[in-house]
Amino acid sequence: MSQFLNLLVAGLTSGAIYGIFGACLAVWFRVCNILNLAVGDFAMFGAIGTAWLVQNAGLPFIAGIAVALAGIGLTAWLFDWVVLHQAFDRGRGAHGIVGVFFYTFGLSLVLEGVARAWFGTDAWGAPVIWSGPALSVLDFHVQRAGILVIALAVVSGLALWAYLRFTVSGRAASACGESRFGSRIVGIDSAKFRRRIFIATALLAALFGIVESPLSGYTYASGPAISLIGTVAAGFASFRRPGRAVAIGLTIGVAESMLGGYVSSNYNDVLLYAILFCIIIFRPEVLGLGAEPA
Amino acid sequence: MTEPAAAESGTLPGPAPGSPESPAAVHQVRRRDPVPLGAGVCVAGVGALVLAAMNGSYLGLTVTTGVCFAIVTVGMVLQLGYSRQLAFSQSVFMGLGAYGMGVLETKYGFSSLESLLAVIGLALVTSLLIGAVVTRAPGLALALATLLMPLFIYQLATYSNWLGSFAGINGVLPLVTGADYTTTLVLSGIVCAVLLGIATAIVFRVIRSGVGLQLMAMAADERLAESLGISLRQRRLEVFVLPSVLAAVGGAAIASVQGIVTPDLLSETSEITLLLMVFVAGRRSIVGAIVGAVVIEYLTTSTSFISTNLGIIEGIALLVILIVEPDGVAGAIDRLLGRRTDQWAAKLRSRVPAGLLARGGSGGA
Repeated sequence: MSQFLNLLVAGLTSGAIYGIFGACLAVWFRVCNILNLAVGDFAMFGAIGTAWLVQNAGLPFIAGIAVALAGIGLTAWLFDWVVLHQAFDRGRGAHGIVGVFFYTFGLSLVLEGVARAWFGTDAWGAPVIWSGPALSVLDFHVQRAGILVIALAVVSGLALWAYLRFTVSGRAASACGESRFGSRIVGIDSAKFRRRIFIATALLAALFGIVESPLSGYTYASGPAISLIGTVAAGFASFRRPGRAVAIGLTIGVAESMLGGYVSSNYNDVLLYAILFCIIIFRPEVLGLGAEPA
Repeated sequence: MTEPAAAESGTLPGPAPGSPESPAAVHQVRRRDPVPLGAGVCVAGVGALVLAAMNGSYLGLTVTTGVCFAIVTVGMVLQLGYSRQLAFSQSVFMGLGAYGMGVLETKYGFSSLESLLAVIGLALVTSLLIGAVVTRAPGLALALATLLMPLFIYQLATYSNWLGSFAGINGVLPLVTGADYTTTLVLSGIVCAVLLGIATAIVFRVIRSGVGLQLMAMAADERLAESLGISLRQRRLEVFVLPSVLAAVGGAAIASVQGIVTPDLLSETSEITLLLMVFVAGRRSIVGAIVGAVVIEYLTTSTSFISTNLGIIEGIALLVILIVEPDGVAGAIDRLLGRRTDQWAAKLRSRVPAGLLARGGSGGA
């Protein structure tokens, strides 16, 4: 029983990571039909940037977080202004399924390259927010950072779901994704929503990276792997439902952990991805994607 | 697209039977289309000459590896550029080809040629089986499904002792063995150039045929294409299978040239490199895909400032190309040449007396 509980908590912790990045992807896709494949790189920059500012530049922890988040917000705004504004508001460049994937993929490459040049190839972890030994009840142990990660994921998922469902601003944002032209007719500035939500999800991902990095540590190359799993979680939530993306991320994490604990610790990821692959190809309707965006 | 291609698809109004332009005559014209064969021979010839001139140097090895990657990217031009079928499975099939060569040669004693033929057969069957189910999924789902493939196949190869685990399989035979290392490398390079020429000819042939027209129609609007009687399922499957087989051939060639197969070939990093090779150079240009593969392979292995900061350079190049010229460097050159040609034509028109132009025009009519 204790093994099961320990595996469950470990799975929920890793699942929270997948879920929150899936939620970030889903909420932005809902607004502008683009996948944010750089979301993992924002998390990486948040974690490594904060660690670098605290350890190398000598800033206090809170100031380090603030500077790192300000830098990431600025980067996201700049990317929107230089690239996305040109591509989607001025009608230049590639569109369709190429645009869905490759603009943020380009950003991911740039961020990864900058991180490598700036921080090197070492693994970094931001200072622990809630320090102390793991909480234990009999044989059941849970890291404090893990509790923070799960809590932040659940709160963020619920907040994003509530924003889209219950606020006028959230409904306007969703309308932009349904029909950009139609939303403009009724006076919704789709570019503004795209920019704001891109920056907000970049900051959320960075904050999550800061909270989670004491558990796993980040290198310059950590971003794409996180983004990929986030994309899978978002895909199973139709790329549009952040709340469901968190739930699916948690499920994927628990499944991965259980497979690792009870089937094979080497082949748990292989089995998990193979199962997800089979679900997509044999039952693509579970994704609820329908036609691809125009 | 070309007139023969359009005629094959049956979209042009048919001339009277027996006339010089009857379907049979048009069919003959189509069969005589010299461009695919010519392009294939040119690519193979130029590639062989360049690699022979490099005489087994380190640069020659890099360019040979680039040529092997080009076999994969030429297939991607058909899949990604013409059909806009976004699939992330090329690195998996490249790995299938490479590991196929490694396993067959080192564990079962196959020769290079036997292994290559077996790998082609295996890739054909595998891509047909996978494609039959994968291509049922709509655009984004197909991309998502194939995105998962490199993830679990890479881990499978990494943990499998039979596939050599992290170290991979060493001792893969070269495609052609010469008297010494230099001769072997040159001869292998020439064989890779010939394989690239064959791949180019096949892809050109498809693009310039009625099937190519149908693929373009599908890329523009699938519903419209379906209403024209095009079998979407069949075409999607064909577009998945041919590039997958070419990817396997490219992977087999890489394994033979390098003499070793490692799981890195299957990873998502490898897939990203392939995508950049196609996107930066031009996803709708076969020449662009070949040049892009060789140049990016050279840049990734060079020891200069560029190789250190390759991610930044590739990312910025990709973003600039997506915004400024979605058809890549090749598209920009095409456009530039088109403008220059227009300018030359305008100049020529201004110099030639008006009467001569009028006569030429009536003669042409």
